[in-house]
Amino acid sequence: MVGKRSKGAIVALVVIAAMLALPSAQSLPVGISGVQESGCNCHGAVPSDSVVASIDGLPESYNYSEAYELTVSFQGGPSQEGNVNQGGFHLWASEGALSVNDATSQLYNQNEVGHTDAGNDQLSWTVTWTAPATDKNVDFVLHVNSVNGNADGAGGGTSGDMWSKVTISLGGPIEVLEAADPFVVLGVLIIVSASLLAITLAYVFYRKDPDAFDWDHFAPWLADWMTSTDHKKIGTLYFVAGLFFLGVGGIMAMIIRIQLSVPGNDFLTQEQYNQFFTLHGTTMIFLAAMPMINGFANWMIPLQLGAADLALPRINAMSFWLQPFAALLIFTGVFSGHGADTGWTGYAPYVVSEGAHYGTTMWAAGQIMLVASSTLTGINFLTTMAVMRAPGMGWMQMPLFSWSILVANVMLFLSIPAFGVGLIQVYLDRVVGTAFYDIAAGGDPLLWSHLFWYFGHPEVYVVVVPSFGIISEVIATSSRRSIFGYRSMVYAMAGIGIVAFIVYGHHMFTSGMSPTLRFVTMLTTMLVAVPTGIKVFNWLMTMHGGSLVYRTHTLWALGFLVTFTLGGISGMFFPSIAMDTHLHESYFVVAHFHYVLVGGTVFGFFAGIYYWWPKATGKMLSEKLGVLHFLTAFVSYNALFWPMHRLGVWGMTRRHHTYFVTTEEALGSLPMEAAGWNMFITVSAFLFFFSNFILVFNMIVSSIRGEDAPDDPWGGWSFEWMTSSPPPAHTLYKLNDGSWGLPTLKDANEHIANEPGWLSSWFQRLLVTDEDTEEESH
Amino acid sequence: MSVMTPIFEGLWDHYIFWSVIVGAIAFGWLYHHSFWFTSKDGKKIPNVDEIEVGVFPKHNDDMRLEVAWTILPFLLIVWLTYYSWEPLDAMWTSADGGVHGYECEEGQVSNNVMDSNGIITSDCYHVIEITGQQWFWNFDCLELNDSLCDTGTETMEVYGSVPVLSLKKGETYLAIMESVDVTHAPWFQHLGTKEDVLPGQQTTLWLPISESMTEESMVLCAEYCGDAHSIMAAKLVAHN
Repeated sequence: MVGKRSKGAIVALVVIAAMLALPSAQSLPVGISGVQESGCNCHGAVPSDSVVASIDGLPESYNYSEAYELTVSFQGGPSQEGNVNQGGFHLWASEGALSVNDATSQLYNQNEVGHTDAGNDQLSWTVTWTAPATDKNVDFVLHVNSVNGNADGAGGGTSGDMWSKVTISLGGPIEVLEAADPFVVLGVLIIVSASLLAITLAYVFYRKDPDAFDWDHFAPWLADWMTSTDHKKIGTLYFVAGLFFLGVGGIMAMIIRIQLSVPGNDFLTQEQYNQFFTLHGTTMIFLAAMPMINGFANWMIPLQLGAADLALPRINAMSFWLQPFAALLIFTGVFSGHGADTGWTGYAPYVVSEGAHYGTTMWAAGQIMLVASSTLTGINFLTTMAVMRAPGMGWMQMPLFSWSILVANVMLFLSIPAFGVGLIQVYLDRVVGTAFYDIAAGGDPLLWSHLFWYFGHPEVYVVVVPSFGIISEVIATSSRRSIFGYRSMVYAMAGIGIVAFIVYGHHMFTSGMSPTLRFVTMLTTMLVAVPTGIKVFNWLMTMHGGSLVYRTHTLWALGFLVTFTLGGISGMFFPSIAMDTHLHESYFVVAHFHYVLVGGTVFGFFAGIYYWWPKATGKMLSEKLGVLHFLTAFVSYNALFWPMHRLGVWGMTRRHHTYFVTTEEALGSLPMEAAGWNMFITVSAFLFFFSNFILVFNMIVSSIRGEDAPDDPWGGWSFEWMTSSPPPAHTLYKLNDGSWGLPTLKDANEHIANEPGWLSSWFQRLLVTDEDTEEESH
Repeated sequence: MSVMTPIFEGLWDHYIFWSVIVGAIAFGWLYHHSFWFTSKDGKKIPNVDEIEVGVFPKHNDDMRLEVAWTILPFLLIVWLTYYSWEPLDAMWTSADGGVHGYECEEGQVSNNVMDSNGIITSDCYHVIEITGQQWFWNFDCLELNDSLCDTGTETMEVYGSVPVLSLKKGETYLAIMESVDVTHAPWFQHLGTKEDVLPGQQTTLWLPISESMTEESMVLCAEYCGDAHSIMAAKLVAHN
């Protein structure tokens, strides 16, 4: 009995001792790895200026391999003589080796030391640092805690404590050049690209009329581009903007790939990496893909419908000019090194937390502008398609590209308000202190996920469906056939548009959703395969019995069929929840969506560029350069994204600035081969990036000395081939009688079109015919 | 080192099987047609369907084919959904009276067994707590004794100092999870599972540690949570 009681007493003593030790234990290694760049997890949420940390004993520049005795100390804060605990420290040195002198400090590894239990009631500690044997720039980061000693009080021990941080840099005997900051690299590359763009613009203007190359002529030319409401000019502007940001997003992707080429790389810091992948995603979706879709749509929708312009030309100009300013806002944070770092998904509550960078506010603001821009564009295209189709063109005689834009805009129109609402909530939370996502005030962390994915999933279809439209045009024209199953193509596209809204739950399979709902979403997600399958088989069947003409756009369309089918198949793995719990947020996801968004969307765009370039500019592109572009890009693209599937299954996680492989000595999260594959991917990524400059080169060569394009170089049927190449400034069409005007659509199926379909003939049976009623009234 | 759990491997192989079939059909068709139905060099390009500018081309469709490739993919996805259904019971089993029974009494053990599909059933389960915080994991064994569940910290060569969760082979655990700040998600790589941890809301995750579980594996954060997201790691040890 006595024995048991004394045992209890010992346990109680241990617990009390543990509670006393708790503050120091908490400032020990837990989360210490995050300490060098970011905040301290030790005590208190915010750093305090009243605590001053210092490191003494460091030389101006070190001697090779010499040992220096450092004294780390702090002053100020709540720490006072007689406290149970006074404070603690954590020192990190980027190079060289740290070691401890006495029991008051401990070594975590050669780069990190901290205080021990015995050393947490003092204000200064002594440790030894051995300088590296080679020439390096060394950074020291010291964190200190000033503790008020209420460890055994009711406050839980850490309330009222304060922390602070000091960073010291030290050079070797010879000053080494700092590696360029990746932001500087990005900035320089963007400026170089913008300058090239400006030079190209100046050159284009010069070529127009070499004698009139002065400001008096340039200013009105520029003003015309900036104030034009012509759908063709705005389409071109969208294109220039889209291609420019495709380049910027590509540069960011390359910087990301450099960072990931070897395990444990430190080319980018975590903070920089987080901003790069956030901006890469946002740029590619909202500033590259969407403007390019609008570029195609602006150019081709009025032309395909046989209209003179869009229904609302000024609204059209406004939706374009919102974009450059939105882009500036989105990038604003980068210029101060505090760009948005939330991922393009911007999950709450991180997006409204103090940890998220200042740039996030501007990023949200910029995207609100893009929401406005997309909404206006949507109104415009839908109105145009509803009221400005040429006489004779019913809904079911619209070219498939126009149908794809119709479906995309209906989807966008129904989904983007949710995103807008979410962004405004985030913006208000960040700026005026509302509490939509403040958990402590009863906010809901999942609300944002719902709003975002209700928009986000239709959005990825919004960017891929226009490519379906382009591919339908290209495959049919190149096969010299009418598209197989025009009606089922339209229904399939509309089907995708409907299914898009009931599948978004699969993005949240691991968010604690109810099992029943997960099962339902699994089923609906699988359903997406049906309409997309119909489209793929229809495209293949279009080629049947055709006479395929190999042009660059044909190659891109066939390439699209390969990569999009692969992307579609890999997409089928996610709805299977037992697999998804492993694959979610892994590189398998990265591989999948790059297969559908690059192999699907971008390859479709490339097909569209080669297909419509002669129409838009009046010049042919070089087929040789086009084939070279296709071959190099297609091969390097697959080499780039295919291995990512395997990396994902192995356990490589998205949005991690680095990864570690398991070696014989150390456990990592990936098998050893992963390092080699990542290097392979990086090399392929560079090849893919540079191969696309062949297209840029091709465009430049074509503008300077391309052959003149005929009106209908490929033999298409829709109205855009009925006008001159390029179309006249005020869009008109060449009519059969030789005059210019607005066309009327004829239908090769006239006799069929007038016969009732099976549905209407079935309905007719139910109806009382006019003849019957007439007889009765007599 | 394989990170594929038996459940994952079974589904994966089945899906790969169907992917290969679908891929073979689509790509075989594509390659055949892109070499067979082509225009020959030097010849005048034929106009198969008499396409003419400004005229909506004549219809080219076949109801039977279009219905066929609506129905067949639909049947395939129904089958795949049905096939993916089986392991779900084990994954979302109820905490009371599901495949893992009820919470273990003191001293009781789970004795979990894995069937040929990789589905694990147990007599009872133990409850542990996982808390996510920027940027470290906090494991709490609650009342479990050291042999069932142990926590600690370890300095790893590459990740630095990380928390360690040590669980016993043959035992099944139910993790009750919450976050103190933003959303995180522990990815138990060798269990092939992850679940978000949310602030102000509890989520749960089954951790059935089978006899064949790897001794040491990593737990990574899979839901982006800020600066040190990528090194918010922990180690899972499966001991005997």
